[in-house]
Amino acid sequence: MPQAIDFGKLFSLFTYDKYDPLLFGSSLFFFFFLFVLLVQRLFSNQKALRIYSLLFFSLFFYYKAAGIYLLLLVFSSAFNFYFGKLIYESKTALLKKIFFATALVVNLGLLGYFKYTNFFLQILTDLKLGTIEPLKIFLPIGISFFTFKALSYVIEIYLEMFEPVKSFRDFSLFIFFFPNVLMGPIDRASAFLPQIEEDNPITKEDVGRALFLISCGLIKKYAIADYIALNFDERVFGFPLRFTGVENLLAIYGRALQGYCDFSGYTDMALGVGLLLGFKLMDNFNRPFKARSVGDYWRRWHLSLSTWLLDYLFKPLQISFRSMRKWGTALAIFFTFFAVGLWHGPNWTFISFGILHSIYLIFGMFTQSIRKKFTDSIKITGTKFHKFLQVVFTFHLLAFTAILFGSPSLQYSLDMIHQIFTFFHPEVFPQFVQAYTTVFVLIVFGYLVHFLPKSVEEKAQNLVIKMPVFFQAVLFAAVIWVVVQFKSAAMMPFIYFQF
Amino acid sequence: MISDKLKQVILKELELKEFNLQDETIASQVPGWDSLNHINIILAIEKGFSIKFKGLEILKAKNIGDLQKLIDSKVPA
Repeated sequence: MPQAIDFGKLFSLFTYDKYDPLLFGSSLFFFFFLFVLLVQRLFSNQKALRIYSLLFFSLFFYYKAAGIYLLLLVFSSAFNFYFGKLIYESKTALLKKIFFATALVVNLGLLGYFKYTNFFLQILTDLKLGTIEPLKIFLPIGISFFTFKALSYVIEIYLEMFEPVKSFRDFSLFIFFFPNVLMGPIDRASAFLPQIEEDNPITKEDVGRALFLISCGLIKKYAIADYIALNFDERVFGFPLRFTGVENLLAIYGRALQGYCDFSGYTDMALGVGLLLGFKLMDNFNRPFKARSVGDYWRRWHLSLSTWLLDYLFKPLQISFRSMRKWGTALAIFFTFFAVGLWHGPNWTFISFGILHSIYLIFGMFTQSIRKKFTDSIKITGTKFHKFLQVVFTFHLLAFTAILFGSPSLQYSLDMIHQIFTFFHPEVFPQFVQAYTTVFVLIVFGYLVHFLPKSVEEKAQNLVIKMPVFFQAVLFAAVIWVVVQFKSAAMMPFIYFQF
Repeated sequence: MISDKLKQVILKELELKEFNLQDETIASQVPGWDSLNHINIILAIEKGFSIKFKGLEILKAKNIGDLQKLIDSKVPA
């Protein structure tokens, strides 16, 4: 007898469930996206309908992740659209300033309320300034990302770099656009909005590139990041004292790779999904572990955030502190990276992570000439050996910050460091390889691919672009098969969702 | 047009012998003009031309041409 359709279950696919957002890579997302593509194709000659349907799908996508807080997203769009206009049309400089300040206060105020209220209440309690019970505040997913996206619009208008858009519909698509609403990239209004105007057709090359990006993203996230996290890293980071120093060290190397594969995997998928809808989103990564200094790393890691903070926070601070010369720049670096830490979340581990990065950068700035003199004196400046040393040294500085980033609290971070320096036991290494062979192979494979020259990636991408459609389909099916083999029963949320 | 004086101030600060600076040239195209050095160049220009920029004016400048216009508006002809 055929089974009756469970309408309740079917209905739940369309309603908000806190524990079940539409994750990239889930089968529900796959069907959702196929339907979106179908509708886009159906309206290929009717631009208005295409945009309205994309708005509808994006709102549905956000509703699946945040429920009623969808209204906050709509508010952000309406508020920033009108304030962009007000700033632009202001007759006097004072009025312009007032509107701009209001836009900043409202955007940052909302972000602060939802994300940091309880953190500050906790600080007040810790400082014994009163005991205030934490409030029950829901954190609307993606709020840090869409707030920064919207802010870029009003800031660029204030700085006269961009004129406000006339269409509220188009502006809303910029804020709601589902491929980047939850976890970035934090696209700039000036790069995204003209694409709606231009309305460029999707080429065969775009489709090939999208397929390549989505495949890379799926493998990075599900075959590498989640596998290492579930089968090794979370165990060590959860109980560092149960493991030897060598295992703690390997877990840190694993954590650095996992963090990269998780976030850049998501970004690859977002970029691919965007391309199939006709939009080129901002790239977020450029092989961060190839960095030769911490400054270089921030030009390769989470670019849409680092360039945002560079343009709208670091530069204004640096300019206002310029009379203090180098110390002014140091202060600007400190405040910017304090913000980087705080942006990631209301937790001292993240704040320490930001401060540690600022210390690296400030130290690097003050010692630049001494270091150059030293490498000049031993005649290695600019040599391959020098570059190799810089990469290895920078990587370990970054891996050290990964401890803070991955630990539940500062005590766990200290435990890990303690194990590495007092209980190293290198003889455990062969046993580790034996017990965690797949994890070990994945870590080695992940880093090897990361350090391949960029030209290899470009060649692979071109190969996929030039393939006949049939082979592209076979390749994509093979990727899905591989991912399914690795994928655990319970899907791990993306690390950056919490931000 | 970029004046000779502005060109010299920038090249001296960046320790460059020669570089073709055009109106459309942006900071990232010039060797050594990074986010840390940026402020030293601004300070060198302020000193070299005996002028003072407002923060917002510098942030609005998109390229060297904008910087030249800004200087011209402040230096009495």
